[in-house]
Amino acid sequence: MRDDAMQLGQTLTRRALLARGGTSGVGALALGSLLAGDARGETRDPKKSAGPLKRPRLGGTDVNPLAERRPHFAPRAKNVIFIHMVGAPSHLDLYDHKPELIKYDGKPCPDEHIKGKRFAFIRGHPKLLGTKYKFKKYADGGVELSELLPHLATVADEMCVLKGLHSDQINHGPAQLFFHTGFGVFGRPTLGSWLSYGLGTSNRNLPSFVVLITGSIAGAGNSLWGSGFLPTIHQGIEFRSSGDPVLFLSNPKGIDGDARRRIVDSINTLNRAQLADVGDPEIATRISQYEMAYRMQTSVPELMDIKAEPKHVLDAYGANPAAKGESFANNCLLARRLVERGVRYVQLFDQGWDHHGGVFDALPRKTKQVDQPIAALIRDLKTRGLLDDTLVVWGAEFGRTPLLQSDRSKPGRDHHKEAFSIWMAGGGVRGGYTFGQTDPLGYSVAENSMHVNDFHATLLHLMGMDHERLTFKFQGRPFRLTDVGGNVAFEVMG
Amino acid sequence: MFAMIGRRSQIQTVARRSTAAAVVALGLTLIAIPWSHAASRTADPADHWAYEAPKRAALPNVNERDWPRNPIDYYVLSRLEAQGLKPSPRADKAKLIRRVYLDLIGLPPTPDEVDAFVNDPSKDAYEKVVDRLLASPRYGEKWAQHWLDLARYADSNGYQADQLRDSWAYRDWVINALNADMPFDRFTVEQLAGDLLPNATIDQKIATGFHRTVTCNVEAGVDPEGNRVNQIFDRVNTTATVWLGTTLECAQCHDHKYDPFTMRDYYGLFAYFNNTPIEVKSTDNRMVSYDFYGPKMPLPLSPQRKAQRDAVQKQIDQLTARASKLRGELLKDMPKWVAAARAGNDARPEWHVMPVKAFTSKGGASHEVLKDQSVLLGGKNPDKDVYRVTVETDVANITGFRLETLTHPTLPANGPGRHTAPRPNFVVYEMTVEQVGPDKQTTPIKLHAAQADFSQDRWHVKGLIDGKAETGWAINPQFGKPHEATVLTHKPLNGAGQKVTFVFTFDQHYGGGRNIGRLRLSAMTGQRGKDDLPANIAKLLRDRNGKLNANQQKQLETHYLGLNGELNQLNADIAKLTKQRDAFKADSTLVMIEMDKPRTTKVMMRGDWKNPGDAVNAAPPAVLHDAPQDLPGNRLGLARWLVSPDNPLVGRVTVNRWWSRFFGDGLLRSEEDFGTQSEPPSHPKLLDWLAVEFVERGWSPKHIHKLIVMSATYQQSSRVDADLLERDPENRLLARGPRIRLSAETVRDNALAISGLLEHRVGGPPIYPPQPERIWRHVGRNAPKYVIENDADRFRRGVYVVWRRSAPYPSFVNFDAPDRAACTVQRPRTNTPLQALTLMNDPAYVEMAMALAGRMMADRPDAGVEDRVRYGFRLATGREPNAFEVAHLKVRYAFELKRYRAKPQAAAELVGGVTGWKPDSKMDKVELAAWFFVANVLLNLDETITKG
Repeated sequence: MRDDAMQLGQTLTRRALLARGGTSGVGALALGSLLAGDARGETRDPKKSAGPLKRPRLGGTDVNPLAERRPHFAPRAKNVIFIHMVGAPSHLDLYDHKPELIKYDGKPCPDEHIKGKRFAFIRGHPKLLGTKYKFKKYADGGVELSELLPHLATVADEMCVLKGLHSDQINHGPAQLFFHTGFGVFGRPTLGSWLSYGLGTSNRNLPSFVVLITGSIAGAGNSLWGSGFLPTIHQGIEFRSSGDPVLFLSNPKGIDGDARRRIVDSINTLNRAQLADVGDPEIATRISQYEMAYRMQTSVPELMDIKAEPKHVLDAYGANPAAKGESFANNCLLARRLVERGVRYVQLFDQGWDHHGGVFDALPRKTKQVDQPIAALIRDLKTRGLLDDTLVVWGAEFGRTPLLQSDRSKPGRDHHKEAFSIWMAGGGVRGGYTFGQTDPLGYSVAENSMHVNDFHATLLHLMGMDHERLTFKFQGRPFRLTDVGGNVAFEVMG
Repeated sequence: MFAMIGRRSQIQTVARRSTAAAVVALGLTLIAIPWSHAASRTADPADHWAYEAPKRAALPNVNERDWPRNPIDYYVLSRLEAQGLKPSPRADKAKLIRRVYLDLIGLPPTPDEVDAFVNDPSKDAYEKVVDRLLASPRYGEKWAQHWLDLARYADSNGYQADQLRDSWAYRDWVINALNADMPFDRFTVEQLAGDLLPNATIDQKIATGFHRTVTCNVEAGVDPEGNRVNQIFDRVNTTATVWLGTTLECAQCHDHKYDPFTMRDYYGLFAYFNNTPIEVKSTDNRMVSYDFYGPKMPLPLSPQRKAQRDAVQKQIDQLTARASKLRGELLKDMPKWVAAARAGNDARPEWHVMPVKAFTSKGGASHEVLKDQSVLLGGKNPDKDVYRVTVETDVANITGFRLETLTHPTLPANGPGRHTAPRPNFVVYEMTVEQVGPDKQTTPIKLHAAQADFSQDRWHVKGLIDGKAETGWAINPQFGKPHEATVLTHKPLNGAGQKVTFVFTFDQHYGGGRNIGRLRLSAMTGQRGKDDLPANIAKLLRDRNGKLNANQQKQLETHYLGLNGELNQLNADIAKLTKQRDAFKADSTLVMIEMDKPRTTKVMMRGDWKNPGDAVNAAPPAVLHDAPQDLPGNRLGLARWLVSPDNPLVGRVTVNRWWSRFFGDGLLRSEEDFGTQSEPPSHPKLLDWLAVEFVERGWSPKHIHKLIVMSATYQQSSRVDADLLERDPENRLLARGPRIRLSAETVRDNALAISGLLEHRVGGPPIYPPQPERIWRHVGRNAPKYVIENDADRFRRGVYVVWRRSAPYPSFVNFDAPDRAACTVQRPRTNTPLQALTLMNDPAYVEMAMALAGRMMADRPDAGVEDRVRYGFRLATGREPNAFEVAHLKVRYAFELKRYRAKPQAAAELVGGVTGWKPDSKMDKVELAAWFFVANVLLNLDETITKG
């Protein structure tokens, strides 16, 4: 009987592809792509998953808003793992080696850099602050890394370091929003939600956009994985390290899996009766969502359980299945497990990189936590053949000043939006390569600058999306991730 | 791109009208064309229909004359007939009343209310219900939800740390204004410029909270001016969206690409808002750290809070009277005390160990009396224990006792307690002393002034003799060393120096074996010593012959009175209550105020405030209606201009939003954008008719709401067959009634009402219903804590739930609630597995399901299974279940009941795991657990969370 009624639900669903209107509900997306023009990719016909992608037609195919969609052109990457070091580490102590800055360490900063500028914390006339760390070149000289990143050095052949990043925002909250949504204000969709909207996802038992967090939540809060004006189905879902991995995933005490199955069966039996009576296809969708919820109760804990990983894998990451609470190494391993299962976009946040004082104490402590797991992630993806399809991004909302903040006994660096470094690996980028240069003091971009909009345009391009065509109409105009900017940096592609 | 555009001619207007009519005639196919309809693409944007004043068109002719109930229906029916469609029949009465309840007050009708309506044969039965709902105080709570989305009302700043701030008085103002059916023009003026009205009332000032709800970045290092400019951008954009249905944001940086608004227009509006004070303030002299600032207004105490404060004051008065009486009595005895104290002051205290005659451990520990007359405990360490120690002494004039707790190698980590090696603590709740007379009669000895060499935090030694079972003496973390406590008697004992027997009792009921490991008791003679008397008092007393001056006398008196436990307690209580009373200081709320000296507003080139262009004056956008001459050039003028009857947009925009709340979509679908890029309305003449009716009939929201729900269009059944679904999947033609999932807050309110938990208290500070741990974990200073309510506040309506922008209430987020960081006109309406998980497993919904299970049993005490199933089903859906539904739920119940009968402890586990609702002790837990399944199913039905 269950099957008959499911069938009924699906028949009705198919018949009524255009279930709901506006921004409301499932059918809106199908409607959007049908009628609003080529705002994003096309869906894959589930029956012919091996065949070419087809445009959905009235009366046909599938209303799943997360169904896989065809990109605008052949993609280099299919999934993204975006590792955000919240608070923004110093590019000058990790990637951007500046001998001149070391030479003039302790000297007053040249006027040209600070005239008319406002810093977040620095007041008065600041002095320069050189790095304390040794740098070495890797990948036949293509990538230069500080001694704080010995593990990353072993995968430098995969890394494409972008030294010419710059942002518009100087405070954490707005800069984080800018880095993820292309706008310094609330209410805009994040990169992950744009990709979910544009490309869908291949795993029906997991969300398209998953967020893993170590440390407290970043300043801009949940908006950093929000969907803004895109349908909320595209927002990131936080998989938590303690308590339920997904909120409300586990049954209340005293309700086991069998009991839950019986409850879901009852709910859906009565919902099917209601569907037969009133005919609203939204009910059919709800029935399928209860089934998916039930499946998630198995698939998510299975995903989060890293115990079954072989010891050498756990050791490579430094992951600990028994860890109570949050572990960045575990999150890196989970990121691999997520993309392995087809999750489109995995976002890692790690808090604790805002080093206004004591940068030479705090930074090594933090790099020690992340260097090994990130290197292990890249190597693991590579071993499994996933790296070609997976774009790994490492970055932060801005960089740090070449200027000293606070006194020399506890030197720190202030927020710096004029120039900073991020890197990408896998997903069709040019490995062992550096793009962009800063001036001799590491203050401004000197060559191959890359605005956050340009970075977004490039990332979308790697995913097979044209940043000018991935749009959503809101407030009377088509919005894009890149607003009115964005140039694709083809140089970074392999 | 566009130059300033003047007002268009009458001829152009006519042309525009006929184009629109043509569009309507073409019907459904054209509607499907996305945001590029031909009529507005080529024409002058200023001629766009929405910038023309709406007019009441003549009611169209219809064939089915009996169907329309009011003018709305003529427009709808005429379009249906043109398409060859028929309206749906009227909804079943039970469904209809539930629909109108959920729409007007956001709560379901009770089964009794449904019955009353179904059984009311009068012609105006429905209208009576509607009128009652419109008059209900619940109406404002429901409709505030929507307005607060527009007002981006939240309880926090947004951004880093996202601290909380008080602006809830504004939220309550909205609820009250909606309940009072405040005309929308006044509603507008008070929110935008209430502070500028002559003799503005407190309420009118509270109303200006509308534009103080904007986000505010107080992150360290923020640029206060940049933050201020962003806030004004938000105010301009929100104002344009809410009152003009226009997206002005583009004109921040350049002239609007599609709509006839220029950058000058934008900054002309900006100028109206540019004269309020800055809203962040530096908290350090380096101008690095910032705090939330800006105008706040104290609120008058509510009658309720004033009554609470008066009650506290009354208690203070009573205690003060008692204290003063006691003081008088004590002072009479003061000379005696002075004499004794003088004597004692010289007498150094001496300690006389009292030999142990008997010892019992109630918990069954073994003991040994050591040579030094200490008792060493051993053997089993009971979870809790009471020691009784009988001692004998012939010491005369005993003035106090000493309890020593000593270490010993046989104790865990040497003791002195017996708990565990890492924490060898003890907790003595109470020590009592009785004197045993020759006839074995016992007399309790009153003790006071307990002192110890060390007391654990919150386990001060004074708890040892205060007669309270919940306070006592403990010594964590000072383990591994001896401690002592001393107490004084009120009068010297055993003046004759005979052999006397005392029985000491030590109550140690903390649990975990926190018992003393070794103890010794001594009697004290003399005075506890100099450290008992503060140096200044000792000095006063030593000087026997000297006369005391008034100040000295006062010192002595204060000290003497301070020795009295009862008086100390009274004084402490008075101090505590005084603090409570003072905490009833007025709450505050955020308001707008105008600075004395206005700022000069300049166009910001590319939207950058650091790049100013020409100065501009405050002025409304040129393309829209003219501002009457006498309007002031401030926010008040702007507000009056917005609600001028000449404004072509405000009426349409407002009624269209309401229409969408009832039908799921606006007549114009893009509620936030009436510009040239919007798709045309489905029923343009109806939209205009409603807009005109709204303005001409005095801007009454309730009038329009009543018109809508009284229409035959609204009252149609929402059933849809496959043909109609295929023809009009989105119900743009309105050939059926609305069927829409409830909003996030209403999903919860509805479930609370069904389960019988809903608490109706109105207004006040935000509430904290259950949410999982670690939702609020943010960086930054003063990050607020989420403390879950344990009283009825837990079950109040969603409109009162604390709204923290960076982490809104998670179950609301799962049901598409916005974070309220920006103005939200239309919430998305998704259908996701997270919603299923929320309704099934969110502890808040689990406790509602358990409460519903309990309600089905309690409200139908002697009923059979079927009757209870029917009752629960009606609570959840408003209608009678059909035979299939009843049968299915009965089987579900019978199955679970059988299972739990076999495993009653599983039932206890399920019931016991629910925190927020507890069953009556007489209720059968096995049955309750089985009913929980039915209740959980009922609260998860699509029909339950849907207005149908």
